[in-house]
Amino acid sequence: MKTNAGNLKKGEFVNHLGEVWQVQKADFYSPGKGSALMKAKIKNLISGKNIDYAYKSNEQVDVLDVQSVEMQYLYKDNENLYLMDERSYNQFSLPIAIVGDVCKFFKEGDRMYVYLHDDKPLSLRPPMSVKLKIVEAEDAAKGDTVSGAKKPVKLETGAMVMVPIFVKVGETISINPETGEYTGRV
Amino acid sequence: MKIKTSYNNIINYKKYLKVTEAVTNYLNQSGYLRIELPVLSPSLIPESYLEVFKTEFKYLDKKENLYLTPSPELFLKRLLAYGVGDCYYLGKSFRNSDPLATLHSYEFTMLEFYKLGVDYMGIADEVLKMLQYVSNQVESQKSLTAQAGKFKSESQNLKITYQDKTISFEKWEKITVAEAFKKYADISEKELFDQQMFLTKAQKKGYRIDGFSYGDVWSQIYTIEIEPHLGNKGYATLIYDYPKEFAALAKLNKDGKTAQRFEFYIRGVELGDCYTELTDWKEQEKRFKEEDRLRNKSRKTAHPIDNEYIEALKYGLGHCSGIAIGMERLGMIFADVVSIDRLKLINIIN
Repeated sequence: MKTNAGNLKKGEFVNHLGEVWQVQKADFYSPGKGSALMKAKIKNLISGKNIDYAYKSNEQVDVLDVQSVEMQYLYKDNENLYLMDERSYNQFSLPIAIVGDVCKFFKEGDRMYVYLHDDKPLSLRPPMSVKLKIVEAEDAAKGDTVSGAKKPVKLETGAMVMVPIFVKVGETISINPETGEYTGRV
Repeated sequence: MKIKTSYNNIINYKKYLKVTEAVTNYLNQSGYLRIELPVLSPSLIPESYLEVFKTEFKYLDKKENLYLTPSPELFLKRLLAYGVGDCYYLGKSFRNSDPLATLHSYEFTMLEFYKLGVDYMGIADEVLKMLQYVSNQVESQKSLTAQAGKFKSESQNLKITYQDKTISFEKWEKITVAEAFKKYADISEKELFDQQMFLTKAQKKGYRIDGFSYGDVWSQIYTIEIEPHLGNKGYATLIYDYPKEFAALAKLNKDGKTAQRFEFYIRGVELGDCYTELTDWKEQEKRFKEEDRLRNKSRKTAHPIDNEYIEALKYGLGHCSGIAIGMERLGMIFADVVSIDRLKLINIIN
């Protein structure tokens, strides 16, 4: 589907120089000389590389038609993540390089949306929040009463996050997987 | 669109107020007269890349079109021709079709000032002094609070920290547009000023040129390959001598290829646009017609052309230069935030 670059939105998939890219950021910009532009940060869905690009705002851009399908996360190996469409039982894989650090917070059985184009997976939308158990943590040192003090802990998926010092081993906490931020105890 | 109250921005907003206060103090003390102006005008200067807001004045059965001014230029130049002397406007300007974005809004606060008897580099000196003054005022407030009331006099605060990098206002980093294209985009001077060669080079670099003008592709390359380097080496960057295609109301240089126009940047953010004013009314009239033709071609809102502006030029506009500075963007730098909405207590959002 062709659209004016001026309509581009974060999350959309575009064909750029023959490859598929996902828009990470799109911001109107008028340099006051020549035409207005759409400044975009786009991510290549093969190499995972981000680039900054500015489209002329009246330039036609090829935006891909994608379907988002809820899938169950199964497991990952060194290169890929594996997910399953629970209705069709079809399995799909996505390179870790594309999904990014967010997958450190995925646990078997987590549900998330996968973007498909012509039945091929392009990328996924991580859940807003994940619940994970703390498997390793140091006890808070006595007298450490600085408000807002934090300590590193290890989660059941192996990921390390910073949490308030009162949180203990064995507790389950919620994390925003996109930022890796602690959002509360469960 | 809807109204959003952003009271969390109160600290940033107060910083912005300090910046505007310092700017007006500086200009008042330096002999510039503050001019209050209408924001609604029955005619405007034609500018091909600007879309305008149109409204209607109604009284009984009489109706008249009015337009929100995209800049105070048309009024200030008239007053200059009448002999008002060095002057400035600090107030709202309006640009339709500028959606709400990190660095844009369809209404914004503009500082525009003019100085007689100087060219664009004379304004560059003035802006640097103004930035030093603002930095000193705003930053000394900061150190005053930091030292819990201990007064830190005499010492000059010519440095600010923006997004974890120090910017000093001791001097400009100066670069011409041609030097910047060579250095950052590997486009030679010859290629830059020859439209066909420029488009061929752009195509080789991977830009789409089919159906686009020199101006379109030029601004695309300028934005992607040049701007991110400007104001990133510890000083604000002054980039000057733009190709004549971007002359707008600027006087041309003797080389016939470039205009006496500069812009200045901090960390890739454009803050101001200055030129030595074109005072030749015949040339101005010619450019007006061309700009109006381009506006019609791109189906922008038609508006009457301010022909009295040409009359004022005929009457005689002395040698002068002027600059427009986006106040929200300047405030953003001193408040150390990356978008203009972070300065406002009330935002209109999508």
